[in-house]
Amino acid sequence: MAKENQTSQLDLNAIRPTMTLNLEGEPCPYPVVYSLDAMEQLKSGEVLEVIADCPQAFNAVPEEAMRMGYKLIGEPITDGPTIRFYILKP
Amino acid sequence: MSQLNLLHSIPELRQKLFGRFWNPMLVTVIAGVLSSLYFGVTGTFWAVTGEFTRLAGHAMSWVGIDPHKLTYIEQIMHLEGSPVDRIDGWVVIGMFLGALMSVLLAGQFKLRLPKQKRRLVQGLIGGIVAGFGARLAMGCNLASFFTGIPQFSFHAWLFMLGMAGGTYIGVKLVLHPLLLGKPKLEKAAPGPRSFISSTPKIQPWLGLVVLVAAIVFVAVQIAGGHAKLGLAGLFGIAFGLLIQRGQICFTSAFRDLWITGRSSMAKALSVGIIAATLCTAVIISLGVPQKIMWASPGALIGGLLFGIGIVVAGGCETGWMYRAMEGQLQFVVVGIGNIIGAGVLAWGWDHWGLYDKLVAGSPKINLVSQWGWTGAILATLGLMLAFYAFASLWEKRVRYMAKRKGQAVLMKAGVGRKEMA
Repeated sequence: MAKENQTSQLDLNAIRPTMTLNLEGEPCPYPVVYSLDAMEQLKSGEVLEVIADCPQAFNAVPEEAMRMGYKLIGEPITDGPTIRFYILKP
Repeated sequence: MSQLNLLHSIPELRQKLFGRFWNPMLVTVIAGVLSSLYFGVTGTFWAVTGEFTRLAGHAMSWVGIDPHKLTYIEQIMHLEGSPVDRIDGWVVIGMFLGALMSVLLAGQFKLRLPKQKRRLVQGLIGGIVAGFGARLAMGCNLASFFTGIPQFSFHAWLFMLGMAGGTYIGVKLVLHPLLLGKPKLEKAAPGPRSFISSTPKIQPWLGLVVLVAAIVFVAVQIAGGHAKLGLAGLFGIAFGLLIQRGQICFTSAFRDLWITGRSSMAKALSVGIIAATLCTAVIISLGVPQKIMWASPGALIGGLLFGIGIVVAGGCETGWMYRAMEGQLQFVVVGIGNIIGAGVLAWGWDHWGLYDKLVAGSPKINLVSQWGWTGAILATLGLMLAFYAFASLWEKRVRYMAKRKGQAVLMKAGVGRKEMA
């Protein structure tokens, strides 16, 4: 368990997103629509950084991304009201 | 030692309750049960747009129009006094306080404006259309849906049908290139990212201050002999807390089905309405008179307009209330739009003959007197189970189609990609 945590910690520190999608102030449904659209433009192995502050996006963006076969790296990170996601295109 | 434990347990409790959003289905069930209790205590249902119409009436008198001459405001909304003299006023005040308290305790307050200014135009126009439609139908997705269906008033069925169609049109509109706009997609800054979440330090304390203030407001009303007003405020606080913590967005229940097939809010609402229906039936059988509205073309058309308006605006009459308390300024604009729309409807009721053309002569259909208790309850539960099943199957269908086409957002059809390229 401890080892597993350590590896994931290392993985997280090594994350370098390719593109950043800043959606601060953008209301629903645009965070999901924009995020999924941006993911389609990424190449395999690239990571999208999404910054949003629409609270519904907290669940909707990662769930919809995962349903499309993308991988959420770590957990969504909340800096108070602002939410960050790192989504990998496998 | 025990004092130290107490000091430590407050932040722990806060983290437990406000560190994450609550399960939407659990929240809608609690809200459903509470809304029937609210009906039992006050004799009216949980609603907000009636009060918005009265606010529009107050605004009219500031600009020299006598709202008491309008049939809708005088005879249907019974405009008297100010919001603090009215049950509906107190539930609205309570909802604002409850939502604000919840946001602050969670440390999620942030003043923000959308970067694309077209969202504000959307908010105002969508808000006006939704406010107008809701009042034409005699209620928004509270009084004509979440608390209207449990009253066994058939008008709410018409409204729901209209709203389903309206939100579909709304989705077509918001994904049109003109409204879709272009997000800020940039090359990412170099360097590692922090993967540790943080909470602002002061906000939770301000949340406690709001909680104490809210309790004082309610206590003063009750002590002053206005028990019903105080209780309406107390229920309002609970409703505000619930819709903010559960992110209960009635708009998304239909909209998300039409965009990505996401069904979580639709399912949550159908289960919440089932809970509300069963509890409301008990309250009605104890002798509280039902609230039955006209099952008119106005309910259907109002639902349609409302559906279009809420999707374009980004939130409905309850949605803007908690979002405004989160600091999302766009939703203050939506709220102003709702009030303007309700006022325009009240004016047009007489002056444009809206009542004569769309409402007059329509029956107020009470499903209990039509089909008896068993029929009314079974039909309502059937409607909600059908809604649940539809949402579930629709989600599967959309996902299947999307996978086959390799297209995430079903209705977008590549419009956005061209814009962004």
